[in-house]
Amino acid sequence: MNISIPNNFFRIIRRPAVFIALCLCAFVPQSLHASFSISAETDKQSVEINDSLYLTITVSGDSSSVPEPALPQMNNFNIYSSGRIQNISIINGKIATSVAFTYILTPRFIGKQKIPPISVSNGGEKHVTPEIEVSVVKAAAPAQASQPQNAPRAQAARQPSARAQAARQPEETLFMTAETDKKTAYPNEQVNLTIRFYTAVPLTSNPQYVPPTFKNLISEDLPPVKNGETVIKGVRYTYSEIKTALFGIEEGQASINPASVFAQIHQGGAVDPFDPNFFQQFFAMNSGQGETRQVTSNSAALKILPLPEGAPAAFNGAVGNFTFSTEPDRREIKTGEALNLSLTITGKGNLKTLIAPKLPDMPDFKVYDTVSSLNISKDNDVIGGKKIFTTVLIPKTEGRRTIPRITFAFLDPATKTYKELSAGPFELTVEKGDGEGQNVSFAHGGQAAPITPISSDIRYVSDRTAAPLTGTAAGRISAMPLWLNLFPVGALLLSLWLARINDFRLKNPLLFRFRKAHGEARADLAGAADRLKNGRPKETASILYDSLLAYLYDKSGHKVSGLTMRRTLALLKEKFPDAGEDALNGIKDLWGKLEALHFSPGGATQEEARDMLETYTALLSLLEKEFKKRG
Amino acid sequence: MKIKLLGVLFLTLSAAAAGAYDRSVLAEYNDLYKNGNYQAALDGYMEIAAKESYNPYAFYNAGNAYFRMNKPGLAILYYGKAFRLDPRDPDIRTNLEFAMKHTGQTFVPEGMPKALHYLYYFFSDRELKAVATVFWWLACLLLSIYALKETLREKLRGVILGAGLILAGAFLWSSARSSSLFSDAAVITESSTQLLSGPGETFKTYATLPEARLVKVLDDTDDVYYEIGIPREGIKGWVKKTSAEKI
Repeated sequence: MNISIPNNFFRIIRRPAVFIALCLCAFVPQSLHASFSISAETDKQSVEINDSLYLTITVSGDSSSVPEPALPQMNNFNIYSSGRIQNISIINGKIATSVAFTYILTPRFIGKQKIPPISVSNGGEKHVTPEIEVSVVKAAAPAQASQPQNAPRAQAARQPSARAQAARQPEETLFMTAETDKKTAYPNEQVNLTIRFYTAVPLTSNPQYVPPTFKNLISEDLPPVKNGETVIKGVRYTYSEIKTALFGIEEGQASINPASVFAQIHQGGAVDPFDPNFFQQFFAMNSGQGETRQVTSNSAALKILPLPEGAPAAFNGAVGNFTFSTEPDRREIKTGEALNLSLTITGKGNLKTLIAPKLPDMPDFKVYDTVSSLNISKDNDVIGGKKIFTTVLIPKTEGRRTIPRITFAFLDPATKTYKELSAGPFELTVEKGDGEGQNVSFAHGGQAAPITPISSDIRYVSDRTAAPLTGTAAGRISAMPLWLNLFPVGALLLSLWLARINDFRLKNPLLFRFRKAHGEARADLAGAADRLKNGRPKETASILYDSLLAYLYDKSGHKVSGLTMRRTLALLKEKFPDAGEDALNGIKDLWGKLEALHFSPGGATQEEARDMLETYTALLSLLEKEFKKRG
Repeated sequence: MKIKLLGVLFLTLSAAAAGAYDRSVLAEYNDLYKNGNYQAALDGYMEIAAKESYNPYAFYNAGNAYFRMNKPGLAILYYGKAFRLDPRDPDIRTNLEFAMKHTGQTFVPEGMPKALHYLYYFFSDRELKAVATVFWWLACLLLSIYALKETLREKLRGVILGAGLILAGAFLWSSARSSSLFSDAAVITESSTQLLSGPGETFKTYATLPEARLVKVLDDTDDVYYEIGIPREGIKGWVKKTSAEKI
């Protein structure tokens, strides 16, 4: 593991264009730009059928993270993840990462077996390893066996009861168990699951193992497979044991679904599995005669407990037992230069999910991206290792500057207490730098790698539930019956008609007065009748007087209140030459009487007012007829 | 007035929200799709589409399920339905184009710039109709005010002209779209569908049409046959209604 950032690499991001460019880089998926390579090798070219081999796949790239390889389907091997070792280095502004993924492969068949090409892809670039051929040979005699677990097998083979087991029915002679070493655990606390496959009969090949699925748990293989022998209820079994480390995700119930094994049982004569030459006898048989049996384990449940109360502020979910150290790579530096601050967490626990301790505020420094490297070990079936978080800091100003104390907190499940580990503070001497500072970017330095289309397909189904608002509104509007659109036409025609009337009225005021005169006089008569009915004759007479003058004004087009009666009658005669004398005399008579009553000090009596009302009513009807004779 | 407009907007939004179905239901169907159970997923999508005829995503998802089930004709049919409802959606456009390309057809006609094609189909038919309707009402309303209020005439002239232009534009656009590939279109859903010279078995077979071919429906009044046109080849004829479905 080597992390170093040479000082001549960095330049301060001071110009907006540079800053924007870096921001844009941040939005571009790194994997699209980064280039990488892959290699695969096994630790041996030849392996015994009861042994296993290590397959190491190394992915190297020029970004802080490289894609994981996708292992192809391999029916001739059982595969278990054994761990990973990551190296990361930052030299001249470019990150180089190398991750070695280790797998343990246990062969299932004798002969030349092939490990197919292994591919790794970042979505655009794809690399493939060449095929690897491995020779799987018969197991050596127990005396020469390299595997220590073969020893008890040889010893047990001498026991007379073994032969009897071979004759048992398959249902009784094959079974699986699954059990955990704990029934409760905190989130991220390791729980070991042990799955054992027992057989009391010989198998025609090594069985194929289908691991269980989990709910609310994440898993990590704990190879290698252990083999052994045991006696259960008087029956001798050989067993294979597979361990898996489990980590609870969140508080609540977690479950382990059954695992399966597909095993081929020989249908011919019995072969003693405890015979020292068991494998030779066994593989001498024709494997095509085997009968495939599926055996499943029991399911199991776990309770994931809530975290204890009183978690310190620095706690961010780490559970296990760790040590913590922090160290800047230099203590003397110039402004604009960069230093690497490495936070190293070592110990037992799920380091994969471990997130970087929160750095305190450091106003004197520019704080850049954090990269992490991870080495996982699985010694003694305990997941652990080392994780290093490296952050780049650039001091802004000269003087004595301090990186404050950094605290890492975790829950120790053994003591059920939180523990806090701190490092620092670190004193730095910062001198004034020269000119431009340094530029920090973990983006790939070169030109963007071209995207190579491999295939095309339709896009995935949509998870949008609601139709777009515009579409819905448009749908509702366009669904309106067509005849509804005639309404605005009707409104428009009505408006045009009203506008025309209004215009005509404005242009011909006298004509409208002439036309309205009768209606208004009738309304006055109704008002006068009301007042008469209420015993107010004087008001009745006044209304009738005013109404008559208004009527004559409307009909003649002249304001008669300012004219004499004679002049008015002359104007009416002039305007309505065909009007009869009776009508004009009636006007003269009524006008005179109403004027007398209107201006007399005593006012009109009830009888006089009624008489005037009746006279006016009759005269109005007569005048309407006479005035229509005109023209 | 503003309050009334806000009220109308609120009601419209509420109506739109009420139209949305439960997200978990869709998630269930999408899980079926994810796990390769396309027929069950399709049944779910069709159920949603039956309830919400305005929802383009139900049709889009149904198109995806049909495509996965290797029924390109029905896939194009449902992508086409989705496209007519939301022509701006990039997923719908992409999958329709992909499915058409897959069946030897072109989504963007040769020689037509993509940007122009996008603009041509920017609004859905319903949206164009809705715009025309709204501006028809608005133009009539403004003209009524113009007639009645002499004092506002100066101010209203420009607005009325604008509304009139938009109205005319919507009409013209709709007219132009009536000749588009997806207007009165149908998709051949059976392979080797016979194109007859008349609406009956007694007529000669002109040609056979491949599955997924987009055709123009010229007349659908016959009970059994569609009269269809195939613009690219310049031929027309009759196909059974069971062999083609209108988008």
